[in-house]
Amino acid sequence: MINLIGYYSLIIGLVISLSIVFLSIKNLRNSEKFDQRITVSIVTQFFLVVVSFFSLILSFINSDFSNETVFNNSHTTEPLFYKITGTWGNHEGSLLLWLLVLTLYLLIFLFRSKSQPKDYKIFTTLFQQIIVIGFFIFLIKTSNPFNYIYPTPNEGLGLNPILQDPALAIHPPILYLGYVGTSIIFSSVLGAICADQVSREWASHIKKWAVTSWIFLTFGILLGSIWAYYELGWGGFWFWDPVENISLMPWLALVTLIHCITVFEKRLILSSWVIVLSISTFTLSMCGTFLVRSGILNSIHTFANDPERGLYILIFLFTLIFLSILIFIFFFKNEKKELGSIYWMSKETSILVNNWFMMYFLSVVLLGTTYPIFLEVITSDKISVGPPFYHKLILPFLIPFLIAMAIGPKLKWIKSNLKNKINLILFFIISFLISFLIMSTIKVKFLFNTILLSSAFYLFFVSLKDFFKNKINNFSQNIAHFGFSLLILSILFNNFLSKEVITNLKIGESFQSKDLKISFESLNQNTISNYESLVGKFNIENSKGDTEILYPELRIYNQPNIVTSEADIKISLWSDKFMTMNYVNNQEYFNIRYQTKPFMIWIWISTLIITIGGFTSLLKKRHEN
Amino acid sequence: MKIRILPSLLIIFFFLIFIIFYKGLKNTNSYTPVTNSKKLIPNFSANLFKNEKMISSNEIFKDDKFYLLNIWSSWCVPCREEHIYLIELGKKKNLDIIGLNYKDKKKNAKKFLLDLNNPYNIIILDKNGTLAIEWGAFGVPETFLIHKKKILKKIVGPLNERSVLEIKKIIK
Amino acid sequence: MYGHKVKLRFLFIFVALTILALTTFLILKSLEENVIYFQSPSDIKTLNNVKKEKIRIGGMVKESSIEIRNNEVNFIITDLNNELNVSYSGVIPNLFSEGKGVVAEGYLKDKNFFVATKILAKHDENYMPPEVKEALQEK
Repeated sequence: MINLIGYYSLIIGLVISLSIVFLSIKNLRNSEKFDQRITVSIVTQFFLVVVSFFSLILSFINSDFSNETVFNNSHTTEPLFYKITGTWGNHEGSLLLWLLVLTLYLLIFLFRSKSQPKDYKIFTTLFQQIIVIGFFIFLIKTSNPFNYIYPTPNEGLGLNPILQDPALAIHPPILYLGYVGTSIIFSSVLGAICADQVSREWASHIKKWAVTSWIFLTFGILLGSIWAYYELGWGGFWFWDPVENISLMPWLALVTLIHCITVFEKRLILSSWVIVLSISTFTLSMCGTFLVRSGILNSIHTFANDPERGLYILIFLFTLIFLSILIFIFFFKNEKKELGSIYWMSKETSILVNNWFMMYFLSVVLLGTTYPIFLEVITSDKISVGPPFYHKLILPFLIPFLIAMAIGPKLKWIKSNLKNKINLILFFIISFLISFLIMSTIKVKFLFNTILLSSAFYLFFVSLKDFFKNKINNFSQNIAHFGFSLLILSILFNNFLSKEVITNLKIGESFQSKDLKISFESLNQNTISNYESLVGKFNIENSKGDTEILYPELRIYNQPNIVTSEADIKISLWSDKFMTMNYVNNQEYFNIRYQTKPFMIWIWISTLIITIGGFTSLLKKRHEN
Repeated sequence: MKIRILPSLLIIFFFLIFIIFYKGLKNTNSYTPVTNSKKLIPNFSANLFKNEKMISSNEIFKDDKFYLLNIWSSWCVPCREEHIYLIELGKKKNLDIIGLNYKDKKKNAKKFLLDLNNPYNIIILDKNGTLAIEWGAFGVPETFLIHKKKILKKIVGPLNERSVLEIKKIIK
Repeated sequence: MYGHKVKLRFLFIFVALTILALTTFLILKSLEENVIYFQSPSDIKTLNNVKKEKIRIGGMVKESSIEIRNNEVNFIITDLNNELNVSYSGVIPNLFSEGKGVVAEGYLKDKNFFVATKILAKHDENYMPPEVKEALQEK
């Protein structure tokens, strides 16, 4: 019964989509006023998708195994919380969530843009509906979440245990709020081109959307990263895995767009650039969906793969790309130019230069991620691209990037002379000296790292100084840049100072190196609702005689039968102590990994600071209006 | 002129990318087990579990019915879990279940069958694991659905509700 | 013939194109240096000479071949045709066990001996790395 309600809501939602398209086209030709029937239809459509989504959640709560999605991804012994989050922990459910967010955004867009011109609103609705229709058909045709199984199985197959985790439970919804937010930017830019509305007002209107999706995306990536840190047991936070890269690409495009749109708002230059970026943010999000869902890429965490689905998204994605190229070429009139020359020493030049850097980072990530696909098609060699590739290509360019980030905000629009030159140079000398001192105590590649570290310190000091100067006009930018410098600093120190010990131990044995001793004291076995847990007790003694006891855990889940290791992490302000334990079938040895990770918590904190920067810019905008 | 060249280049560029991605999709067929099916079963001969007599593959799969070859062992924990499904499938008239006892001690295997019942019509022995390799098995347990000496389906890992449903669908 | 603005514009386009070409070259060059090729034990057997580059080997962990000591793990990767001895010290993933698929990353010492620096596994019980599946099916 519930399944049927959910399924038919989707079908009716699709039909309403078509009627919205019809109404919009009619409205475009005939009348001067915005047709209120469109608003009503969009509200109804949103309501139907909500009904459909809730009926899926209800099926999950009731463990209704006559629903194929529930059968594949749930189990009666799971805690209620994971039954609910299991709704979007699978391909079908997550697509439904995607659709929900898509319609939600359209609704918010309509209510928040009452004062916008009618044509622009209709065109935007129209383009957004094209995307919505695409997803409706995709959902109903290739990945229906309400498939029926007969006879009804007694028990489900269970949610993958590594997904049974609080951070990962809210990670997809937040990430999708970010990804899908870019769809509004996409529709709105196409709408603005068609209605000839690429203007200052449009820019400040759409900037809020860009910032909002960027905040969600940043936060979503942060959650995923934290999850990978403690659940996957590798003790890192970023692995350059294709799935991670895919979320990074729209993020980079969004950051570029936010900066670029600010320039456009002030000076009305770079309009084509703004349009291209707006289109590519959504295209990159879709491209990510394609790469993850089709299984074309090899990653540690892809969804169940199905070439048919991949083909559908591929065709859909390229239809959107071609559509936007055509609209851009044929409808875009680049007339409104506020003339005036561009000077080298100006805010817009520095933003533009950093935009180019960002584009460069983006293309490195894009090429690194897709290169294996190209190579396999052309030469049928199987390869993978590892972290060294990204490090080598990105790190050197971070240096000028960071320095420009520090100096750029000090420049004025149009033309400026740097004031306080002495101050800025002084700061650089100070940062260089500090880095020099720090690096000489650490034995790593000296020259390069010193310069990299000093540019990070430079940005840190310069933005810190501005922070206390109480110049409110650029508060949000200041916070975000400060957060970024802190992020780079913590990543660098984390890399330089991390230490790890990997060894195999039996119960009762201990490992001794010159500065620490790890003893495997005991192993406890417990049975908990849907898994069995093995908790090791390890005593760690460092050369000073301080001891610490860590309890890494192994969980053996019954349904599906999977072993996961839960790291035990002792978090402190300056350094995390991280330990995982693992076992190999039929062997008495346990594989132990012990790491000290300095400044780990600062990586998370600085990312939060960056998002706070975004938030304040939203608040400020509202204040001004 | 200039305006027309750039867009057409763009479109050609994206079209090429489309083709590459499309071909890339075709490549991922290796993800689905379909490519593995419809293969002929290997020719072999093996000792019977009950009396150590030699039997050839032609004798085992001689009839025009469905066969389920299940690789199992008493030391394999998932084999215990999947056993109820085998017993359920054993009730089907048009399906014979062949057990391939993999690297096992006979005493333990007998106790295993006594504890959990015996769903197998025939059990053959694979003491050193060579037969499993001939079948191209990845590990224990593993199950092959066979009809007319062709492998219709291969299930890596223990049977579950879903794979049992699929098997029932095929032999209908 | 051309005005100052046009000349500037050409200069700008020229510079932009050069930078674009340079970056493309840079990226492709480092891609070439940093890719890791995937091979099966049978591919290794047919090699003429052993190269000093990082590769990935995929196959199945041979039954009862795992041997653990305090500082290293030894096992045999097989694609059911050929075998390769692997020695490894480092983190062992959860799903590493006998009879299961495995991908090891590292360097070849000779045609029979591989020193792994990393072992990869997917967190899924029935997962067989696609390369492994293909390698196993090719036989």
